[in-house]
Amino acid sequence: MPKCLVCYKWTLDEKDIKIKPEDLSLDTSRAKGKISDFDRNAIEEATRIVEQHGGTVHALTYGTSAVSESLKDVLSRGPETIYWISDNSAETADACVTANVLAAAVRKLESYDLILCGEGSSDLFNQQTAARLAALLGLPCITYVEKLSVEGDTVRATRKLADCTEVATVKGPVVLSVLGTINKPRIPSLKQVLGAAKKPKKEIKIADLGLNAEQLHPKSIHKTVKGFVAKRKTIIYREANAAANVGKLTSSLAAEGLL
Amino acid sequence: MPGIFVFSEDSALAKQLLTPALELKQQLSQPVTAVTTSEADAKELAALGADKVVVLQSTSGWTEGLSEAICGLVSGTGATIFLLGGTLRGKHVAAYVAAKLNSGMSTDAKSLKIEGGKLLSTRLLYAGLALCEEELTLPAVVTIPPRTFLPPNAAAKAGVIETVKAEADGRVTISDVTPHGGTGVDIAGVTKLVAVGRGLRKQEDLKLAEDLATALHAEIACSRPVAEDEHWLPIERYVGISGHTVKPELYLAVGISGQVQHMVGARESKVIAAVNNDEHAPIFEAADYGIVGDLYEVLPLLAAAVRKNGGR
Repeated sequence: MPKCLVCYKWTLDEKDIKIKPEDLSLDTSRAKGKISDFDRNAIEEATRIVEQHGGTVHALTYGTSAVSESLKDVLSRGPETIYWISDNSAETADACVTANVLAAAVRKLESYDLILCGEGSSDLFNQQTAARLAALLGLPCITYVEKLSVEGDTVRATRKLADCTEVATVKGPVVLSVLGTINKPRIPSLKQVLGAAKKPKKEIKIADLGLNAEQLHPKSIHKTVKGFVAKRKTIIYREANAAANVGKLTSSLAAEGLL
Repeated sequence: MPGIFVFSEDSALAKQLLTPALELKQQLSQPVTAVTTSEADAKELAALGADKVVVLQSTSGWTEGLSEAICGLVSGTGATIFLLGGTLRGKHVAAYVAAKLNSGMSTDAKSLKIEGGKLLSTRLLYAGLALCEEELTLPAVVTIPPRTFLPPNAAAKAGVIETVKAEADGRVTISDVTPHGGTGVDIAGVTKLVAVGRGLRKQEDLKLAEDLATALHAEIACSRPVAEDEHWLPIERYVGISGHTVKPELYLAVGISGQVQHMVGARESKVIAAVNNDEHAPIFEAADYGIVGDLYEVLPLLAAAVRKNGGR
């Protein structure tokens, strides 16, 4: 029966981030937190496997104080225990620091058969955590998985790449990253939401992970962040007469030398 | 001796990586070493200006399984910057190496430069909503998407080629490698695209867009749902954050609302035109020209008008 650990990130919902026209800075004041999109698929996949084969699903996260908002949401989706690391260092943590922290936490916890992550986070989309974790933990790694099956201690994963799919098979513990197409995350029922309140939420203090200053020092920082604003002509023909609109668009495209 | 390293399992991309690598060589006065698994690529990379090419010889054809071997090569020689082709395989190897080096990594960098002893890279955040300048402490790992750079011209003097035996990760077995269906069209390389989205009601209606594409001498592209949910078109034709980034002269978006996840793949197009029945669709803010109207009425008229104009 597989023991699964899902690593997830609590991110801002990018739909609610606005670009300030005066300086192109990002206004995140209206953006709420969410479980990073593909991490939700990872939670669902681990839960699905355990429903099929028995076993356990634990969840692990590292973030700022905002992660406390995520715990019930995650627990209502299947995991039975959540480990959370809340620390100010997460404010500027890069993928290097994040992987160092998560790997150190995994070493402290029990041994897992499957460690699952989303392909990349909704905000930064660095696509690094799974392969970094595998490197640090000395485990094999299967990234970009769109289909997963477990039989005994054998894990079979179909990977989807730009030009092909391939099946990766591995025995024993493995780190996986899953694609958004692997499943459709369930919407938790009222019972699951209520049940989540009773599940254990265990805090891990970063100081207890035995990491040195170098391991917690980001190697990559965001020097500037600017909203992208399309500079387009936005000449829109909106008459009721479709033929008239088509005539105008055709003239415009011809004037651009495109016809 | 410190140096700049490049690796991609994709031949074309490996050559493109040499362009930023040679620019960094100018700034850092450090040699460029190309790592490859292909003897054929090795000769070309040496001719294009790599000071040294290391051919990894392995019995495994699985690139990701060579992560540890590649890492050994790079870390053993004191790499300052390691550029990898931004395929999914390349990103897997890159993140593995970055973790082993305890280094930062910039994913999908669009440009690179050295400033104050640090590496500055530009990349997208929030699915393309924002552009970020990332500052990386050396040594640093970077992945670069296909077609970001052109390959360099042939160098005056070809670099040396060395062959090294590499051990692959034996824990993972790869089977059932299945190429995606499709015609092998590369929509990232064409001059005109007609892209269809959810505004299309059924697969047969693709004919309308195809007829317009024929008139315009354009290829057909699509948004993610058309390829991944409906499977009306192969994923080789899908434009967006996890699909293709295209830069045609004309991008004509039909029945596409214009969410940032899609537009990020199309916004480097020279001219963007849109047809959509929702006048509030975000596509109209991201387009040069647009028609608010029913695509079922507009497309046949447009195809006829283009033909009359002698579309080329």
